[in-house]
Amino acid sequence: MKYLPLLWAGLWRKPVRTALTMLSIVTAFFLFGVLQGVNAGVQSVFEAMSVARLRVMSRANFQEPLPIAHVERIKHLDGVTDVSPLTVLVGNYQQTSNVVVALGVDTDALFRMFPEMKLPAAQAAALARTRTGVVVGAALAERRGWKIGDRIPIVAFNAVKKDGSRDWYFDIVGIYDMEQHNFASEIWAHYEYIDEGRAMDRGTAMQIVVRVADPERAPRIAQQIDELFMSSAGQTITQSEKDALQGMLAQVGDIGFLVDTIVGAVLFTLLFLTSNTMVQSIRERTPELAILRTIGFSESRVLWLVVTEALVMGVSAALIGLAAASPVIPRMLERVSPDFSAIRMPAAVFAWGCVIAALLALVSGLPPALRARRLQLVDALAGR
Amino acid sequence: MAASVSLRGVSRRYVHGADCVDALREVHLEIAAGAFVAVLGPSGAGKTTLLDIVAGLDTPHAGAVLVDGEDVAALGSRERAAWRARHVGLVFSVDHLVPLLTIQRNVEIPLLGMALSRHERRRDALAALDEVGLTHRAHCMPAQLSLGERRRVTIARALVTRPTLLVCDEPTKNLGRDSADAVLATLQVLSTRATTTIVMSTEDPAAAAWASHVVALEGGHASPVPRAQAAA
Repeated sequence: MKYLPLLWAGLWRKPVRTALTMLSIVTAFFLFGVLQGVNAGVQSVFEAMSVARLRVMSRANFQEPLPIAHVERIKHLDGVTDVSPLTVLVGNYQQTSNVVVALGVDTDALFRMFPEMKLPAAQAAALARTRTGVVVGAALAERRGWKIGDRIPIVAFNAVKKDGSRDWYFDIVGIYDMEQHNFASEIWAHYEYIDEGRAMDRGTAMQIVVRVADPERAPRIAQQIDELFMSSAGQTITQSEKDALQGMLAQVGDIGFLVDTIVGAVLFTLLFLTSNTMVQSIRERTPELAILRTIGFSESRVLWLVVTEALVMGVSAALIGLAAASPVIPRMLERVSPDFSAIRMPAAVFAWGCVIAALLALVSGLPPALRARRLQLVDALAGR
Repeated sequence: MAASVSLRGVSRRYVHGADCVDALREVHLEIAAGAFVAVLGPSGAGKTTLLDIVAGLDTPHAGAVLVDGEDVAALGSRERAAWRARHVGLVFSVDHLVPLLTIQRNVEIPLLGMALSRHERRRDALAALDEVGLTHRAHCMPAQLSLGERRRVTIARALVTRPTLLVCDEPTKNLGRDSADAVLATLQVLSTRATTTIVMSTEDPAAAAWASHVVALEGGHASPVPRAQAAA
């Protein structure tokens, strides 16, 4: 601590240069935080997914609806405990920038299929008897300021009603929570209410959700489901939840590779920038460092001072960048898909960011520090 | 306790490619403990080289440098650095104060490596500033001080560790007469306490006249000069 004023004075010797360098580091680690945060956040969603649940989708295209008759046929397969159609209603809530998604399912099976959702029995009963009823995730309700008894109007993009309007109304009858609170962010509605109300695609489901008794048998059952519809018009592809979501994202591209490439390029450029700043800074202060040596600072203490200066600059700027990225991730992902709005920056990304910042600081600070350590005092004092 | 300094046949040669420059040639010099010695000579006479060797910043090619009987030139680089930290205070013609630290904080810098509390460092720094008459400027920034005051701050910075040997390389260089006199008066007062031996280099005979002993250095050779002659 006693060296802090000396470090601080060295750091801010050229305030504009230091501020610009720190701004570059802040920006780089903001980018690192957002990209790696999104990547790691999506991975955490995969990990939270149940291996005992299967998603049945159209083999032709995951947006192609499946006939509802598939549900009854799947129910009869050995090892299947519950089956529900799933239809998706996407629309605006109150304003065009507010996109919400309501998932229509067989609400009788909902809490057996998703046991991680916790809902008081009275609210589950209210859902069963209310045709327009929905249960919403606690995290979503907090974010929107919703409570039981509220009516949610949604102007749907993908579902026109029989009367030609796109206005759908849902009544909140329950608020469920989950152990991973942030993932409690869905709106669950009655499949029948949506299906019977819409003008097109009636009697179809976007997906069919299947729960199996034994997760180890899930791959075999998935194969049986696909074989069941092999010769029908609605051929299916059945995957575990995790594989299904990974498959959908893979259609966008290899996100992990893209993220790693961009972040790698940014950090590589940053290394040159910070190295240049440190080299310039130390070169300008050569006589000052020589004076420190003459008044009793050992070679290793001068080296330590320079490296610590680089560490203070690099790590503090990286912390600011990472802290700024953290609240941006859910907001940004919400625009991509409301399903991803529950994703938060994992603590591991924050920790890795700090470690990388420290390594960058060491790599950029060590060469000028070694130069400062090896100063020939007589030459340095003479300005040679 | 002030240090005695003895230079015995000290030579220093600089080699730059094919060129050889003999900055010092078999210099013999005896400086008594507590003395205030001015090394007088023109630019290029070898004054800085002589002072660097006395202070342990540089080593001679030949000869011995005894400070209180210890051969400083025979010490290794690390040992010399440790010896310098314990015994030597250095003042240069350029102050190199840290611009973003107050005067008091600048003077405290040599104490950072010592096992002292913040209070003790502050106390010692203020005491050193008092010795150069700048206590009232302790909380100023270097840019707020005149050139002469800044030079006196470097003297305080050199004194704060209570060195037995104070080496001043042209401390009045680039100063006006009044500022130079203030710096020299400070050194003279210090020398009267006989706790520190002062070795100062200068090109200015008037500055040398403030010292108790004057040594002329020319062409790498040193010779004592009577004070009256030096003043003239």
